[in-house]
Amino acid sequence: MEAEKYLQIMLEIAGSIVAGLLVAALILMLTGYDPWQGLYTMFIGGLSDPDYLFSRSSLIMMTGLAFAIPALASAFNIGGEGQMYVGGMVALVVSLLTKNAFLSILFGSLAGGGLGLLIGALRAYRQVNEVITAIMLNWIFYYLSIYLITAYYYNPIAPYRSLSVPEEAQLGTITLFNARLHVTFFISLALSLIAYFLVFYTKLGYQIRVSGLSQDSARYAGIKPERTFTYSMTIGGIFGGLSGALNVIAFTYYIDQLLTSMFGMGFDGIGVALMGRNNPIGIVLSSIFFSILLLGGQRMQIAMNIPKELTDALSGVIIIALAMPYAYRMLFSYLRVRRLMRVAK
Amino acid sequence: MPAISFEDVYKIYPDGNIALKGVSFQVEEGEIHGLLGENGAGKTTLMRILYGEIKPSSGAIRVFGKKMKFDGPWDAIRMGIGMVYQKFSLIGGFTVLENLSLSALPLGLQREDVLHRVEDIMEEIGMKIPLQEKVDLLPVGVRQRVEIIKALVRDAKILILDEPTSVLTPLEVKELFRVLKKLKEKGLTIIFITHKLREVKAITDRVTVLRKGRVIGTRVTNEVSELELARMMVGREVLFKLERRRAEPREEALVVKELWVRADNGLWAVKGVNLRLRYGEILGIAGVQGNGQKELIEAIVGIRKPERGSIKLKGRNLVGMDPSQIYKMGLAYIPDLRSTGLVMGMDLVGNLLLTRIDEFTIKSVVSWKGATSETKNIIDRFSIVADSVKKPIERLSGGNQQKFLLAREISRGPDIIVASEPTHGLDVGATEYIRKQLIDLRDSGKAVLLVSTDLDEIMQLSDRIAVMYEGKVVAEGPAENFTLDRLGLLMGGIVGG
Repeated sequence: MEAEKYLQIMLEIAGSIVAGLLVAALILMLTGYDPWQGLYTMFIGGLSDPDYLFSRSSLIMMTGLAFAIPALASAFNIGGEGQMYVGGMVALVVSLLTKNAFLSILFGSLAGGGLGLLIGALRAYRQVNEVITAIMLNWIFYYLSIYLITAYYYNPIAPYRSLSVPEEAQLGTITLFNARLHVTFFISLALSLIAYFLVFYTKLGYQIRVSGLSQDSARYAGIKPERTFTYSMTIGGIFGGLSGALNVIAFTYYIDQLLTSMFGMGFDGIGVALMGRNNPIGIVLSSIFFSILLLGGQRMQIAMNIPKELTDALSGVIIIALAMPYAYRMLFSYLRVRRLMRVAK
Repeated sequence: MPAISFEDVYKIYPDGNIALKGVSFQVEEGEIHGLLGENGAGKTTLMRILYGEIKPSSGAIRVFGKKMKFDGPWDAIRMGIGMVYQKFSLIGGFTVLENLSLSALPLGLQREDVLHRVEDIMEEIGMKIPLQEKVDLLPVGVRQRVEIIKALVRDAKILILDEPTSVLTPLEVKELFRVLKKLKEKGLTIIFITHKLREVKAITDRVTVLRKGRVIGTRVTNEVSELELARMMVGREVLFKLERRRAEPREEALVVKELWVRADNGLWAVKGVNLRLRYGEILGIAGVQGNGQKELIEAIVGIRKPERGSIKLKGRNLVGMDPSQIYKMGLAYIPDLRSTGLVMGMDLVGNLLLTRIDEFTIKSVVSWKGATSETKNIIDRFSIVADSVKKPIERLSGGNQQKFLLAREISRGPDIIVASEPTHGLDVGATEYIRKQLIDLRDSGKAVLLVSTDLDEIMQLSDRIAVMYEGKVVAEGPAENFTLDRLGLLMGGIVGG
């Protein structure tokens, strides 16, 4: 029963990847590129710089969790983007003030959590739609961050970016199998495991999942769905904040004027969470896979002179194929009914 | 030529559930044809296929000799089939006439045409409905009449009624039967779906019995006894009488005083209810659905806050306490909906934790090992059929889900059990099992509060009975004081009969 379930998931994923690659190859062929060389460049390119790959995946791993944990309580946290900006900004400022990495990350994550709490509580207790609040806050904090960087925290030597995180507060790299990797990946990995434990092994995680599946059942058991909703948004916000804070303290060490190192990563987290079925372990895998496509796409642009729009479309095709296992299930169940019919007669 | 002829109809759902296994029988024109079977026998599936809502996996249906296409309900409606579901498909904020016009829209009928037709129909069958009233404000019995007229406006030649009496008071049932007989005289063919033997005998000409997706047989109603039908339906002798000894009630467990509770819409649902429940007895609360029972129970278990009055459990006032606190005081609650008492989408172990999580957590960390072994333990002890505790609970049959729900609550060791519709929608075997469990609980000195709209259940189990009507307890006393007829009248709001 268990083994069969996992086998089915593996088959689904394998089938999705193959189907996605076939369509991607077809698109390359139709647009006049060599499909074999294209896909080869995409994957080899995606894997060519492990440090960059893993550091990028840590960022969307965290924004993926920022979406997934609220999603388990049936909250739609589209505010991972804004929570990430706030986490990054606060971490930068705290690092300048305290020169302490731990405090910077802590305050960055708490700031993101505070934002999640605000959005969640407004929805749970005042019926303000969380999607609208979150989208507005995303933009507010995007421009607020740009303002702070250009007006107060700009780097006098390189004005297009902020001051750097003081060296004492920077988290560096470790060498593993001859590869120098930023620790942000290992911290994110550990945090994902903690998230997994939280979701599946604690009372709060259980209550969040029950509320997400059935509010009536939650009320019956004495769980207040409003409360779990707010908690889940707060935890999501903490992970959103962590993504920004870790990115600044342990990878880029500064924020550029237009936030390009973060921009859009909160939204990418939504796709990563869906691909990973809102399961923290699944999100670890899907965030790495997603990053491979992202970096591979950039390599394709450089190596084969393929426009960015097309490489993005190719990544999109593969991701959509992965995110729509429903279609395969329909096909499977159709075949199954045919088989059962023969048996029944 | 038969009105409907089912020819070897199969229906297999993608999850492997085989609902129909080659159903063949005929419905003659102008008869009332009973379709009898337990829950899960395939009655509703078969009728949904006939109405074009779902497609059969194989087989054919002929309506007046013409083969059906199953492209959707409109095909069925065009062929003259009308359907009255248990849950009505009317728009609450619209008036009756607006609803009828809406449903006749695809026929190209104007509002005036509809009005004329409706008036003709009402006169012909001697049934009145208020056309300008909003549907929301109508009692359930009247809404059902609207549904019937809706089908007639569309010129239905065949009328299907799915368990039409389950929501009605005994008086409304009589009225419905009168209308059905009138429609039969008019030449309509009626399919009457039910699991109540008494109704089959009272209204049908012929009856087809389904069991586990197969036709067991079709009989002329006059030539078959209730007992024989019951045997066909369940495949074994039915234990209609439960063995029980006299209650030996002891001290008071639960005292409800002058309780006032509002419904979700802000109106008073419970208006000054007083109740006393003692250890060692079953107190049955009878009443037609929607007379305040739900709000009363939710107030007792802490899900709904009462506005006035007190609820004392073992001498402590419960008002203002959370359900989880109340459960810890020794109260167990079995809600009327399994989708509330269980979490669909979780496995059995996850469902065990719903009300018992504190037993399996140390410092907020869940012990899945402990919970899994307790789940296995419960499955064995209460003989619940489940091949794995990791199975999603919705894959279990309704009977086994309910047994699991009851088992989880009993195994917590409560001394007061509040059970709402505990056997609703269950087959005879599971019903018997659950009722026996409730009697055993009483015999071991627990207090049981039973809320049920099923009069047989109330009569079979209760030591004392309270009847609720429009938010008030209109009669209360030892079970011996009540007969089925008196209960029926009280539930219909006729006090003093």
